[in-house]
Amino acid sequence: MVDAHPSHEPVAPALVEVSGLSLPAAITHLPRPDPYLNVEDYEPEADAMALNMGPQHPSTHGVLRLKLFLDGEICFKAVPYVGYLHRGVEKLLENRTAIQSVPYVDKNDYVSPLTGELALVMAYEALLDVEPPPRAQVLRTILMELQRIASHHLWLGTFCLDMGGALGGGSSVFLYNFRERELILDLLEALTGQRMHYNALMVGGNRHDVPPGWEEKVLATMDRVEDRLAEYEAMTVDNHIFRSRTVGVGVLDPLLALEAGAGGANLRASGVDHDLRRDAPYAAYGQVDVRIPVETAGDCYARFLVRIAEMREAIRIVRLLVSGIPEGPIGALKPPRHVNAVKLPPGEVYVGIESPRGELGTYLISDGSPIPVRVKIRPPSLHAVSLLPYLCVGATVSDIVVILGSLDPILGEVDR
Amino acid sequence: MAVDETSRTFVHPLYGWLEKIPGLSVGLTTADAVLSWGLEHSLWVFPMATSCCGIEFMATMTSRFDMDQFGTFTRPTPRQCDVMVVAGTITVKMAPRVKRLWDMMPEPRWCVAMGSCAISGDFYRNLYAVVPGVDTFIPVDVYVPGCPPAPDHVHAGMHVLMEKIRQVRKGTFRPNADPAAREGLLRPSIPRIGDPDRDPALSRAQAEAAFRMDPGCQVTPRSEDERDVP
Ligand code: SF4
Repeated sequence: MVDAHPSHEPVAPALVEVSGLSLPAAITHLPRPDPYLNVEDYEPEADAMALNMGPQHPSTHGVLRLKLFLDGEICFKAVPYVGYLHRGVEKLLENRTAIQSVPYVDKNDYVSPLTGELALVMAYEALLDVEPPPRAQVLRTILMELQRIASHHLWLGTFCLDMGGALGGGSSVFLYNFRERELILDLLEALTGQRMHYNALMVGGNRHDVPPGWEEKVLATMDRVEDRLAEYEAMTVDNHIFRSRTVGVGVLDPLLALEAGAGGANLRASGVDHDLRRDAPYAAYGQVDVRIPVETAGDCYARFLVRIAEMREAIRIVRLLVSGIPEGPIGALKPPRHVNAVKLPPGEVYVGIESPRGELGTYLISDGSPIPVRVKIRPPSLHAVSLLPYLCVGATVSDIVVILGSLDPILGEVDR
Repeated sequence: MAVDETSRTFVHPLYGWLEKIPGLSVGLTTADAVLSWGLEHSLWVFPMATSCCGIEFMATMTSRFDMDQFGTFTRPTPRQCDVMVVAGTITVKMAPRVKRLWDMMPEPRWCVAMGSCAISGDFYRNLYAVVPGVDTFIPVDVYVPGCPPAPDHVHAGMHVLMEKIRQVRKGTFRPNADPAAREGLLRPSIPRIGDPDRDPALSRAQAEAAFRMDPGCQVTPRSEDERDVP
């Protein structure tokens, strides 16, 4: 067994105060590489080489292109290129009414479609000043947490797949994780009739009420998923190779993470205790006491630990809520008789929610017509990709694959 | 020997021997039957997965749906593959790369368009950035409709492809000979270029834009040698 990174041991790490935040001292103020380094000025020790990774590469999770400048095998400059999946969603939403736009945001972050829906729907609700009934709020919270578990399952599977043959042929963890993801997709399919793009929320409430016997199924699935989590830990945490490939790799300075606007597990693995579910509760998160896992090592292993802990926490929240779903209607508004029937009041709103990847925000400006003038989506993955020029420098190519996987960017959301 | 396969009058050097050696034709048809069987049941798939459909394609390959049982197997390199499954939205920026990867695949090769985005551009098809269907620039053999298609539908699509390969090898393939049997799988579910509410000038402009852009996405052409090198 590899010795754990010092800060993975349960001793309290040394902290340093930076503008009112207590950050782990060991990884704060790390030296930063220059992302705009002129390649001509660099004196390579071995052969200098430019390597183009992507846009079609099995480990870029979509269509990210990374241009790596290598000195031997060590990267000294990395340039990410995005835009290979630009589908103009913001522009399309500026020509759609609220009820028409929900299916579009599904396809942004296609690994957790429901969070994208919630961010958009909540922005419209804030603009229209509509409060969904309690049943819808609790259902939404359950859906978000189920989606978080499914999303982290997919992340863990592909992360281990990228790491290659180290983990029992590489694809064992991947196949095991998809097995559990299917169980959660079954629950969502029973509720909405779709496996992936649910279109489950609408302004003022939910579209689908729970089918009979769904709560029991959820509880049974949660038990099963929790059991299996222990299996994954046995395959990863106790795996010598897994640890040697992740511990101490891609250490993220919390100050850099904050400056880049990173969120979610990337931020919390660097010791910043920030989560909108607890700090600015939306839906029914106010009713549960959300425990936020925080790690202080900032490396790929810490990000992995945070995501595993988040899955456990999500299971706990689902269990708490699913046994006490309040009775009542699931929508506050009558379905509009015509798509243009609902006029938006003039004004602007910003709503941010905690997606599995960080703060997912929607900014709406309306001038009083049924369609908004401007829609801006703040995707957490874009900010994760913007960390790559810093994290990749000094890493080998095989580590870059691990770093990229540990940041968990979804390119549909980056390019929109 | 360099063979110009584009020539319609192509004559394989073996053809002459067929008449001279008795029994060779029987041997060759038997060998051909074996080859066809092998071709049909060992489809190596190159997943051209760009977005959401790619995730569903991943799920199709995993244990619950288990596409490996039909002899399909994903390889991340086009040079070893027989089938390209285009799963996801193809944007104007991505299209030249898809074309280049398709060109890298050895013959015989097949293409499956998975999902409405690959078929027709889905509800993005009137947008400046999205190519309205992958068959505007590469030939598609099977269309699997859905957004995303469920893994069972992908299975059905692969079976249609196997059937097609069998017929093509036998020489009995007639496109749309039996429209009732495979309605919706062999033809796009949404009328794409001939769509009445679609501006034909737009279709043309999008298809042209996809072709004009070079793989480095530079407007000014650069020499082949310095491409992607600092
Ligand atoms: S067809 Fe639907 S699921 Fe497939 S890539 Fe397009 S938007 Fe995504």
